[in-house]
Amino acid sequence: MEDVQVVAMLVRRCIAGDAAAWEEIVQGYNRRIYNICYRFAGSSDDAQDLTQEVFIKMYRTLSSYDPSKGAFVTWVTTITRNLLVDHFRKTKQDRMTDSMDTTASDHEDAQPLSEQIPDQSAPPDAQVRQREVSETVHQALGKLSPELREAVILRDLQDMDYKEIATALRVPEGTVKSRINRGRAELARLLQRTYRQVM
Amino acid sequence: MPDRTSNGMQCNEFDLLLSDALDGVLSGSGLDRFQAHARTCKTCGPLLEEAEAGRQWLKGLTEVEPPASLVPNILASTTGVDTQRLRTTVRAPQPRVSWWEHVQASFLEPTWALVRQPRFAMSFGMAFFALSVSLTMAGVNIHDVMSISLRPSAIRHAYYSTQAKVVRYVDNVRAVYTMQAALREIKRNMSPAEPGPAKQKEHKNDTTQQPEQKQERNYSQTGEKLILAGTPVGPSDFDRILDPSNPDLPVVSVTTDRRFV
Repeated sequence: MEDVQVVAMLVRRCIAGDAAAWEEIVQGYNRRIYNICYRFAGSSDDAQDLTQEVFIKMYRTLSSYDPSKGAFVTWVTTITRNLLVDHFRKTKQDRMTDSMDTTASDHEDAQPLSEQIPDQSAPPDAQVRQREVSETVHQALGKLSPELREAVILRDLQDMDYKEIATALRVPEGTVKSRINRGRAELARLLQRTYRQVM
Repeated sequence: MPDRTSNGMQCNEFDLLLSDALDGVLSGSGLDRFQAHARTCKTCGPLLEEAEAGRQWLKGLTEVEPPASLVPNILASTTGVDTQRLRTTVRAPQPRVSWWEHVQASFLEPTWALVRQPRFAMSFGMAFFALSVSLTMAGVNIHDVMSISLRPSAIRHAYYSTQAKVVRYVDNVRAVYTMQAALREIKRNMSPAEPGPAKQKEHKNDTTQQPEQKQERNYSQTGEKLILAGTPVGPSDFDRILDPSNPDLPVVSVTTDRRFV
């Protein structure tokens, strides 16, 4: 994202109490963190809360960042990922309760996304169509297991390299690659099944 | 994933190379072996297709725009102030303001804004009502309050009269009166016995009484007869005085000699 030296200088200024430097960091990273949170949590409200929590944690632990141990963006992503895991664990009970009220979406014969697919008979506008497809893929992404979801988000949506992802997720690089492959494949299966139902 | 070998490549190795192949970094003989394994392996072939499809789906996802309120909220929750707004304020040219305007802006306007709130007005009304009810119950009349003189002598007089009223009131309280009586009784019981008449007789010859007697003598002179009021009388004199048949009862007339200077 930015030069290592520039970021290190920004961090030093923040630690020294420079509010403008902190604002610069917030302006530079809020979009990235918000997108990770949005794709992982699935809703805009949760993403806003999580992004705010990430920055609060960053602000409190900024002095613990060591530029020699890795890039600032990796450090930020690690914090984000840890908070997302915590959030996932906290809301696990809610999701289990919700799933009892809805169709078992993980089964092969389930129709998890078909109800959200709009009627294809009407000729849609290209922009609307694109938005609908994006929403469908976003919904399918939420059906992946958290391990696969975070791996594909960091790789395919945030363009992080495998080494950075391995550092952020604290797993070997081979595991990262395997998770990305399985995540992509699982997502494709979910979407193919969905569109087959619609067609 | 089953660990099968096809065209000199195991499925585990295929899985590891899958990401590189999709990223386009696999080349040469490695790519040939990879493609050959994908063509022949019934598990890895579909996996390659699905992973490629999934990757394409994900590439179609565009970045979402964060809400406009996100950054101000983050700054407010971390540094406690909206630094962007602060900086804008600082950068704006500041017109010169007088001290009165400064006081108005920093004190009066916030106070007035607080006072204008309905809940404050309600609280003020309730407090006024409670105060007026309390004063009425205490017997305070507004006309009396308005006619109070604020001269120092009047204030002093009011203070002493109020103090006297309070002392009288406290003394007349039944509990206080009873307690004071009980204390007096206890003190009387605890104090030593008073000196008897024998002791008084001893004082008769005490020369220390002489000047006092002289003084009393001076204050007890009449024109006709000198009566020594301080001179003790004997039992025979009492009998004579108390005898109803005695016509010559002494009439004691006391005049006080006053000296006018």
